Amino acid sequence: MHMHKYEKIWLFFGIGSLFVFLAVLGVGAFAQGNQPPSCLTTIDPEKVDQTPPFDKPGLVKTGDNEYQLNIVASAFSYTPNQVEIPKGAKVTINVATKDVIHGFEMAGTNVNMMVEPGYVSSFTQTFDKPGEYVILCNEYCGAGHHLMTAKVKVVE
Amino acid sequence: MAKQQLSTQTKTKVEKTSSLKGTLASVFFLGFFLIFTWVSVYFLFLDRL
Repeated sequence: MHMHKYEKIWLFFGIGSLFVFLAVLGVGAFAQGNQPPSCLTTIDPEKVDQTPPFDKPGLVKTGDNEYQLNIVASAFSYTPNQVEIPKGAKVTINVATKDVIHGFEMAGTNVNMMVEPGYVSSFTQTFDKPGEYVILCNEYCGAGHHLMTAKVKVVE
Repeated sequence: MAKQQLSTQTKTKVEKTSSLKGTLASVFFLGFFLIFTWVSVYFLFLDRL
């Protein structure tokens, strides 16, 4: 089959970049262990309030400078909705929803999860910069969606 | 009257292969734009780690 020289060049370029991106994905998933925030951990969405750690949501110290932040999302709020985190803390954030799908985004950080009923979404983040971070819902969840926010303060 | 069409030889024109320079340029323009945006978002992600 006759093929123009230029055509060969851009096909090589296109298929080549496909393999580059696949390699990036493979290294991230299998070598570095990256996974989606809601991966394998399940919870009964009707019994979130009775299931630890979500029966007592909030910040829990788990080690030297390591914390766990457990948050319950429901239409249209987060519990708790004001959290103070010491600067430099490595925080594993666990979020579960009691009703519909919610979002969990901390503006200006990499923390951005979808919170699905039946699953616990987790993300670990180190907070090095002091300041105030807004948590907001970025999955449309109903009439009060735009009011669904919380605040995290990183203090010295 | 005899048909004259048969006597005239039909000339099949071989079309010149069109130039693909512009296509090549636009394909790579789009390709580099995609790579540039991907890399910038990746560095934004690394910056926020």
